[in-house]
Amino acid sequence: MIRLTVNGRLETASVPAGLTLLELLRDRFHLTGTKEGCGIGECGACTVLLDGLPVASCLVLAVEADGRTVETIEGEAIGGELSKLQKAFLEAGAVQCGFCTPGMIMSARGLLRRNPRPSDDEIVEAMSGNLCRCTGYEAILDAVRRAVEHDPSPSAPRHAHSPPQKEDRRA
Amino acid sequence: MPELRVVGRPVLRDDAIEKVTGTARYTTDLALPGMLYAAILTSPHASARIARIDVATARGEPGVRAVLTGDDLDVLLGLYLRDKRILARGVVRYQGEPVAAVAADTLDEARSALRKIRVDYEELPAVFDARAAMAPGAPRVHPELATYERMRGVFFPEAGTNVAHHQKIRRGDAAAALDAADVRIEATFDNPPVQHVPLETHAAIAQALPADRVEVWTSSQSPYTVRHLLAHAFGLPHASVRVHVPYVGGGFGGKAGLGVEPLAYVLSKACGGRPVLVSMTREQEFNTMPSRQGLTSTLRLGATRDGRLTALEATYVWDAGAYADYGVNIGRAAAYAGAGPYAVDNCSIDSYVVYTNKVYGTAFRGFGHLEVLWGVERAIDRLARALDLDPVEFRRRNLLRSGDTTITGEPIAVGHGSPRKCLEAVAQAIGWGLPPLPPDAPNKVRGKGVAMLHKAPAMPTNTSCAAVIKLDEDGAADLLVSGVDYGQGTYTVLRQIAAEELSLPIEKVHAVWDCDTAMTPYDWQTVASRFAYMGGNAVIAAAADCRRQLIDTAANALGVPAEALVCRDGRVCVASDEGRGLEYRQLALGFTFPNGNAIGGPIIGHGRSIATGLTNLDPETGQGRPAQFWTYGAHAVEIEVDTETGEITVLRLVTAVDAGKVLNPLLCRGQIVGGVVQGLGSALLEGFQFDERGRLMNPSFVDYKIATAKDLPREIVPIMIENPQPDGPYGARGVAEHPMISVPSALGNALFDALGIDFSSLPLTPERVLGKILEAGSR
Amino acid sequence: MLGRFDYVSPATLDDAVRRLGPGVAILAGGTDLLVDLRAGRASPSLLVDIKHVDVLQRLEVSSARGIAVGAAVSLSRLVDTLRALGLASGLAEAASAIATVQLRHRATAVGNLCNASPAADLAPILLVLDAQVAVTGPRGERVLPLDGFFVGAKRTCLAADEIVTEIRIPKLDVDLRSAFRKQQRLRGHDLAVASAAAAFSASDGLLRVAIGSCAPTPLLLPPLRVGRSPEASVDEVVALASQSISPISDARSSAAYRAAVVPVLVRRAVLDVLKEGGRPSTP
Repeated sequence: MIRLTVNGRLETASVPAGLTLLELLRDRFHLTGTKEGCGIGECGACTVLLDGLPVASCLVLAVEADGRTVETIEGEAIGGELSKLQKAFLEAGAVQCGFCTPGMIMSARGLLRRNPRPSDDEIVEAMSGNLCRCTGYEAILDAVRRAVEHDPSPSAPRHAHSPPQKEDRRA
Repeated sequence: MPELRVVGRPVLRDDAIEKVTGTARYTTDLALPGMLYAAILTSPHASARIARIDVATARGEPGVRAVLTGDDLDVLLGLYLRDKRILARGVVRYQGEPVAAVAADTLDEARSALRKIRVDYEELPAVFDARAAMAPGAPRVHPELATYERMRGVFFPEAGTNVAHHQKIRRGDAAAALDAADVRIEATFDNPPVQHVPLETHAAIAQALPADRVEVWTSSQSPYTVRHLLAHAFGLPHASVRVHVPYVGGGFGGKAGLGVEPLAYVLSKACGGRPVLVSMTREQEFNTMPSRQGLTSTLRLGATRDGRLTALEATYVWDAGAYADYGVNIGRAAAYAGAGPYAVDNCSIDSYVVYTNKVYGTAFRGFGHLEVLWGVERAIDRLARALDLDPVEFRRRNLLRSGDTTITGEPIAVGHGSPRKCLEAVAQAIGWGLPPLPPDAPNKVRGKGVAMLHKAPAMPTNTSCAAVIKLDEDGAADLLVSGVDYGQGTYTVLRQIAAEELSLPIEKVHAVWDCDTAMTPYDWQTVASRFAYMGGNAVIAAAADCRRQLIDTAANALGVPAEALVCRDGRVCVASDEGRGLEYRQLALGFTFPNGNAIGGPIIGHGRSIATGLTNLDPETGQGRPAQFWTYGAHAVEIEVDTETGEITVLRLVTAVDAGKVLNPLLCRGQIVGGVVQGLGSALLEGFQFDERGRLMNPSFVDYKIATAKDLPREIVPIMIENPQPDGPYGARGVAEHPMISVPSALGNALFDALGIDFSSLPLTPERVLGKILEAGSR
Repeated sequence: MLGRFDYVSPATLDDAVRRLGPGVAILAGGTDLLVDLRAGRASPSLLVDIKHVDVLQRLEVSSARGIAVGAAVSLSRLVDTLRALGLASGLAEAASAIATVQLRHRATAVGNLCNASPAADLAPILLVLDAQVAVTGPRGERVLPLDGFFVGAKRTCLAADEIVTEIRIPKLDVDLRSAFRKQQRLRGHDLAVASAAAAFSASDGLLRVAIGSCAPTPLLLPPLRVGRSPEASVDEVVALASQSISPISDARSSAAYRAAVVPVLVRRAVLDVLKEGGRPSTP
């Protein structure tokens, strides 16, 4: 039996060791917003936050999430209100077919959580693990830039295990 | 025309809200009660006889509900040529071809049962190169080609060969004109097969119902085509086949035809009608699902000394892979566009679509035009060079203009798009004629290139489309169509058109998102960049029908003649006295007088559009009228090449497309930028690699690379040109495929400018570029 | 489902080591292991998750005591720490060149070595930094130089019941400069077509160069003393690199292209470390 927090809610599940976190979320918890694009961690469609860090949920075992915190796209809008990040994706025209979108937003959320004022290079780095075949990325990067501009002082919690931070890692 | 309120504005897409919240449901997000999961066994050989399949053990495995092989199914499938089975029977024709399938209670059970199936193969001779496949004595991929049912009068397979279709275009006397030309060039170009790589792989759920009915949920671009082909293949009435299309995670042509639906259906039947999900893994998407065809082109061009293109002779050999699918139509469409957007009086084109023992080809954004124009636009540059003419100037002198005729004899009329404006726009934006800025390191060189593009919708002469608009109790409008918005944004554009035509705010026009062939009206397919055009015209007609019904009811209600009434701001009012009128909501279900009497009834408008004036092409000369409209465009690019590693950096890429009318600049930009980056994939990164036994060597994202956010040009500049299309909605024509076409050509031309080396094979990988640099250096 | 196997996550190294043996796979980041499980290339009966073993989370970076990277330390933690302290820039560069953000949050430096891919990005840079691996097994701990750890493509000298607990770089001279160059097919995440790492310390005047993806194992060239004419040393080491490699052709690259870019990568990496003031702007 594993216990984990998913989008702020304590969940329990009895899982075989071979079950992936992606399968746990989609098939057991019916959180189908997280997508499978390749199953080998190359495309980013299954990105969720594990203890605040973006990870490929197809390459995490469900049992590894025991005792930990998972955030998915379903937790991004609070009380039906779209987050600034989600609004930025709408306004920038960053959504086409939409299949990569949840993973993209979770990658962006992971970046802003750790680094509320990312440089442009840091935005590109953070988003480049998510493949998109429709948009050509430009609008997606614009959306993240917009979210940064719209949100001068996001007060998201920083996870205890976060590695040391520097203000601007390019310096 | 009065000022537009909604059309032409950057309206945001309404589906994005579901997509950013993760609530948008795609096929694999659906879970039907009792749903079973399928796993597919594929062939490890490119060409082999199936000597024996033993499924007995697999049938007894836990959770297994059905195991099927080709021996259980006697159905031939195909769009234009029925040459393909649901599961291979007797022989396999490509590595990755489905051979057997299992449906079980869980995916894991299906997969583990699959491992218990034993297949004995006897390898057969195979052919992997399309030109070799045309040689006498080459192994025949389909010995029974002559017996296949096909669309007659349009496609011409050559019995006893591997040629699935031969398209001829004959105009003037190309051979004589080449002989007489002052300057001639000849060159050969290659494109490898390329994958669509939608982020969502192919998936379908099918449920066989009593009384020979079937219900399907599928990730498809073409619900009515899926319905028609299923009905046709299984001998069912069309109404017995109901196809739903939920959100689709990208298609790019790869989901235009029939995909995994037939397999899901036969499995469901074999399981007593339990719904069955077939969902391809990414590896199967590469190995098993169709790709873009490879192409080898041989071009001979001739010109007069003063720079007039007088002759073009081309042989296009398409590598169809194991099945014809859309390939035969690509061989046809790319042939009639196969001289580029130029006036050339003497033209001879032979386009052969040739079977090989590789994964088969299908439609892909651009429908053969990127491939053909890779050769044509590179050859045009070389001819300009041979003439000592600037490549832009040479194009300027030869572009089609009103009064010219195309190579199929189609007159270029006034109201045509303007290739010239596209060319001038990109040339100016790239600073054509000015030398590139000097690179910042000695091992780098820079160059500029241009390329033209054109494409018409490749569609049957009778392609049609319908739209329905129904009004709600609150006076809002619901829009029903069966073209699929799989990301391109057409539903938003159609909502804009409906809002404009009905004089409603955009918020009050709703697109119905899930296509359903039992509920949403006919559309042919969502391909060919014709949905906004034909769907737009159908919506205009449907809105007019709504207005007629509104005005008819309002005229009776108000006691004024219908001619005195107009629709304005959600009301029907007297034109000369706008205060007098009725709101749509008072009319939407019928008007009720104060005494309770009612008139009218629910308002449901219907509109349609159909291709006009198109003809089949003459089998011997290719003359005829294939194009509903032509969309033109041009790219200009500035690149930097690292001469030590062969890496190309795209500094600036300018794309101009003559959209006729930009219906939504935000969405139009999205199509251009997305198309350009996809085109850069074809130019720089993508292509299948096969080993000597025809096995795909790069069937996953580890070795099949598509562009990431790090791989963008430093700057992409979209330019939207607006020469109205007379019969297009608000003057619009399609632009969805076009931005991708000729991106490789512009890169190739820029590479010559930078290095003085001609490249003829795609993709332009660092390895290929450096190889040529070293080769040139050692000469 | 990635197969049928048992899973344990011991809290102590002893407990973890006790469980090792044939048919047992160590799970750290899992970014290679889970891919192999899915493809059926690995079918262990037991996975031993080592992330809850405290000592394996150890990460120490200091110029005085060198570097120690525990087997459960993720690449992103390593990169962030190195960058924050401004140390071993070549190692930070190499670690950040691996895969994607998502995978670097999971993948470990030790795992990158233990997977023993000829293309492992950390191998060349750790070789030139004279790294050692600490190995624990039922017979106790042994510390061995990284050169010699790889015995073939995807093969190390580890026994089935042994675990690499730590990568150690005992000495990190203040004036040590290191650099890493990787040739990819695109700018986005990719395995190395070829790679080169270089390290140079003015105090001992020794230039070390290693090459990845061009032989069955990562290749460390003999150290070269840089004399009066650094240019001559550059030419010498580039020539040596070209003679030492034995590249193959695969889906990623032809042998010829690998042979052609290795001198370029080596030259660039070496110039990075020989140049005054560390790494120059990328040519």
